[in-house]
Amino acid sequence: MILPFFLVYVAFSIYPIVYSLVISFLNWDGISTPSFAGLTNYIRAFTKDPFFYKSLTNSMILMAFSIPIQIALGLLMACVLKDFLKKTRNGFQLINFLPYVTTPVAIGLIFQQMFNWKSGIVNAGLGLIGLDSVYWLGETWPARVVVILTIIWKNYGYMMIMFLSGLSSISPKLYDAAKIDGANWVQSFFKITIPLLRPIFNFVIVTCVINGFRLFDEPQLLFQSDTQPIGGPNRSVLTMIMRFYEVSFRDFQFGYGTALAFSLFIIMGIITMILYAVLNAKGDD
Amino acid sequence: MTKNSAKKENHFLSRYLGKICVWVFVLILSLLALLPFWMMIVMGTYISEDLYTSAKIWFGDYLLQNLHTVMKQDFFLYYRNSIVVAVLNTAGGVLISGLAGYAFAKYEFKFKKPLFMFVIATLAIPPQLGLVGYVVEMRKLHLNNTLFPLIVSGMASSFGVFWMRSFISGGVPGEIIESGRVDGCGEFGIYFRLVLPLLRPAIITIGLLLFLWSWNSYMTPLVMISNQKLYTIPLSISLLNGEYRTDYAARILALAMGTIPVLVLFAAGSKYLIKGLTAGSVKG
Repeated sequence: MILPFFLVYVAFSIYPIVYSLVISFLNWDGISTPSFAGLTNYIRAFTKDPFFYKSLTNSMILMAFSIPIQIALGLLMACVLKDFLKKTRNGFQLINFLPYVTTPVAIGLIFQQMFNWKSGIVNAGLGLIGLDSVYWLGETWPARVVVILTIIWKNYGYMMIMFLSGLSSISPKLYDAAKIDGANWVQSFFKITIPLLRPIFNFVIVTCVINGFRLFDEPQLLFQSDTQPIGGPNRSVLTMIMRFYEVSFRDFQFGYGTALAFSLFIIMGIITMILYAVLNAKGDD
Repeated sequence: MTKNSAKKENHFLSRYLGKICVWVFVLILSLLALLPFWMMIVMGTYISEDLYTSAKIWFGDYLLQNLHTVMKQDFFLYYRNSIVVAVLNTAGGVLISGLAGYAFAKYEFKFKKPLFMFVIATLAIPPQLGLVGYVVEMRKLHLNNTLFPLIVSGMASSFGVFWMRSFISGGVPGEIIESGRVDGCGEFGIYFRLVLPLLRPAIITIGLLLFLWSWNSYMTPLVMISNQKLYTIPLSISLLNGEYRTDYAARILALAMGTIPVLVLFAAGSKYLIKGLTAGSVKG
């Protein structure tokens, strides 16, 4: 009974991964005869490719700003819905969850329109309150801000439902006891809710980081252009997966591309493990 | 006494203020959540030239002409491709992960533990890791430029097995299986006739998740498919630059038509989706 699963899994997941690993030790464009490259692809990634580190830094920057904000918004929304808006909770939950299930390609394209320099609604809004238009999609930091806002918009609803599910496992008796002791909502929030949600925090942070490294669709669509290299202005939003895509499927350097993929996987693994260790150590206090 | 009532009043006031803050926060965030969808719908009703002059917040009057433009393209073909891929992927995924989950939950066999550990470990593998190998594999099998690679991609879902196993462990009593054996049902007969009907909620959850992932998938079709007749919705939206270049509004209308119906489906099943998405988080 497990046979169909493992057959499909081995054929279409394991085999391609092993095959990719083999390719990463080759020089190959996918068509001509491959030649053995040894570790040169990996050495190139870590020592000779400025875009490798650039994409790593970009991914980190995007995560550093988007993850705390999306977690904070999601947490606040979850707590507020649970404590104050019991009757309308389901409706708001659904509304704020919708962005998460929307096709990422569509999100990229529509945000591109909204942040358009001349006709975008964001600059129109800025104009209304008397601020100058920003050339969102054309400069390094504004471009990053757009990607960060896009990710936050998409993900905070997911954070919200994670925290809501965590909140439902906290006993209401704790809050009642705190109330009797005279604690207000803010105090209970910091003294009860946050400490007891620790497992959810750990899970959510790790998930965010893993997904952060995988980011591709939204920035790719936001800065899609036939005339410019991918990755936005000054390649400021070139993520690691975008770099992998560019090398593998635009330049058709299969060997180097797969080496990039495995390097990314290794870096991701190390960071995730460190993160786990740090988060769990904190939990022992 | 007076001190007490003053405190009460103060308390009341702060609660009142708090309530306003809460509503402002929730309403603003919800409006921001909906704004891009609104823009999507509104922008599809203008003539393209107008889109570049100023921001639009209310409907224009060019919907029918844009609709006409969209219909002239192969829009329904892309829609059909997306549906074929997502439905077959979902059906296959539900079938095999259900079977595997059932085996892991109710049978004893050799290497059961290491195999299940393996399934859990693969949850952490990013899908792009084997993408190049997958493309080459499909090319060698002459299956690139068919819908097949998109259908089977992600079909063997580790998460599906994990989810089905935990549901079956808790939700299917062993007596049912025993009674099936006594009645002389084959093992597959037991699964399909007796167990499967009990799995409805789990199947809906996994089905919706697989459908979601498959429908939204972009990178795999992007690198696999070059024949325009096989484009899926996300691919057509992103690559039909040329075709719609002169007609941006039509492109956005197509975007809305490709996105919103599925959103309705997900919204309808959001209870089940959310259950699946939050699985595992509580245990850490």
